[in-house]
Formats: sequence, structure tokens, C-alpha cells
Amino acid sequence: MTADPLDPVIHVPARLRIVVTLAALPEGASLSFTRLQDVLDLTPGNLITHLRKLEDAGYLKTETTGNGRASRTSIALTRHGRAALDTYTAALRDLLGGL
Amino acid sequence: MDGPHDIDQTARADDGDGLDPREAARLLAQTQREAQRQFNLSPAWLTAVMGAVILVAYGALWLSTRRQHPYQGPNLGVVALVYAAVAVAIAASVKVYRRATAGVAGPSVRQQQAEGVAILVSFVLGSPVLQGAMKHYGAGDAIVYGVIPAAAPLIIVGTTVLGIAASKADWPQCGAALAVVIAGVVAAFAGPSGAWLAAGIGLFIAMAGYAAADSSRHRRRSPQG
Repeated sequence: MTADPLDPVIHVPARLRIVVTLAALPEGASLSFTRLQDVLDLTPGNLITHLRKLEDAGYLKTETTGNGRASRTSIALTRHGRAALDTYTAALRDLLGGL
Repeated sequence: MDGPHDIDQTARADDGDGLDPREAARLLAQTQREAQRQFNLSPAWLTAVMGAVILVAYGALWLSTRRQHPYQGPNLGVVALVYAAVAVAIAASVKVYRRATAGVAGPSVRQQQAEGVAILVSFVLGSPVLQGAMKHYGAGDAIVYGVIPAAAPLIIVGTTVLGIAASKADWPQCGAALAVVIAGVVAAFAGPSGAWLAAGIGLFIAMAGYAAADSSRHRRRSPQG
């Protein structure tokens, strides 16, 4: 079984979980870094690494407000990211249908 | 959630080469379920439990009034029970709402708050205003303390939720709200005591149906079906 039809940016356990979790929010909503970390149970370093890759692909955007201890980072899935997850899910469904 | 197991798995399969499509589908479905549990404002279990609590409370109101001739209204003990049930339902909803919206920001959160205020206002003001007006114009206890408080909240709050659900194209919620309105209409013609029973059964069916439809909708989104 080849995984070629599956988007390699999403087809990684941690990034798949990040994108699916953010997609559960209504369109336009963002989630704080700490809540996302809490939901996914990832270390901050691990989460930052995967967020960066998803942001580089244009699948999500991050925004930091405030300074120092009061700073808050929020993460939101872009339309491009939501569409990429839909495509990934459809491709996965096709692959599983052919198994 | 598998916790540390998932973190180890992430570190090993960072490039995704080792991720089988079946395993990806399982992970996707599991994450969807977890996210749904985390962010859902009206989880199916809460909706179903609230439906059952309402059925018991309205059933108690019906039992306390069904042999009254002429109708005098439910006794204070039953009214206290109903208020306690409503207080518990509100407390559970607030807890779920706080958990679901923690760390979430954006226009959708403000819209949900506005919808909540609209529903609350229609619930708090709708029936008491009608009861006051009816009392003012000399209507009897059967209308003021029977038919109106049983039927009016369902029709008023039901139509409010129906409008909100239709504007979002949320068809399961739309169907549930329509069922509540219909239950209110039936209750309005079921007599002062029968109105409580009709309202309780109608609300229970609408809420249980919505919980089932919502669960089914979330299951269908999974690639595993």
C-alpha cells in the first residue's frame, strides 16, 4: 500500500491530530497554545515544531498577543488547511475502500 | 487519549512513512471523537440526561395536578423539585460551556454567547409576561398556572432556537426545535394538567432525538464511517 495520495504534511500522527483538533472548532475560531497542548498531550517543543511545519504549508496561522508572561499564542486553521484536511480524509477513505 | 504513548509514536513516525492508512484513519477518528468531547457545547449525553430530567419533572407536575377539579396548579413541593432540576441542568450546562470554550476565541464564540442570551431572554420573559397579562385580564388558574406555563415556553423558546438553527443550516437542531414547538402546540390544547404531560413527553422526544442525530452526524464524518 502506497501513501502517495496522502498529503505528507498532514500524514504524520502529531500533525494529523493538530489539524483534526483545530478543524473541530467553528470556522474562524482560534485555540490557545496551552489548550491545544493540553488536548493533544504534547510537549511544548514537539508542538512548536509541528505547528511551524503546518504554518509553513499555509495550513494554519498563529498569532501572539501581549508580552512576557502575559503573552498568549492562538492558533487557527486556515481555509487552505481545512480544505487540505478534507482532501486528506477523502483520499484516506478511497484508500481504505480499496483495501 | 493515549497520552505519552502518542508522543513517543509522534517522535518515531515524524515523517509519516511508517503510518499505515488504516492506522491514520483510526487516529483521525479517535482525534475527532476527543475534539468533539472537548469542544462540544451540547454533548449527546448531557442532552439525553436533560431530556430525562425534564420528563421526570414535567411528569411530577402532571401527577400533582391530574386529579384537580377545578384546576389549582402544582403544589409547592413539586414546583421546588422542578426549580431544583432546572438549577442542576443550568449548572451542568455552564460547566460544559466553560470547559468547551476554554482557550477558544473568535467570532463564533461571540455568536454563541449572543444566541445564549437570546434563548435565555425568550425563556425568562416569554411565559411570565403572558401569564401576567392573562391574570390581568381575569383568566382562570387553569390558563395562568396550567396551559400557559406548560405550553408557552416550548413555543417561544422553540421558535427562537428554530430561527437560530435555520440561520446556521443546523438541520438536526432545526428538527429538534420544530418538535419542541409542535409539543408546545399540542400542550396548549391538552388541558391544564395534560399540558404538563404533553410538554414533558414532547421535550424528551425532541432532546433524545437530537442527541441521537448529533451522535450519528459525528460518526458519519469519520473516514471509517
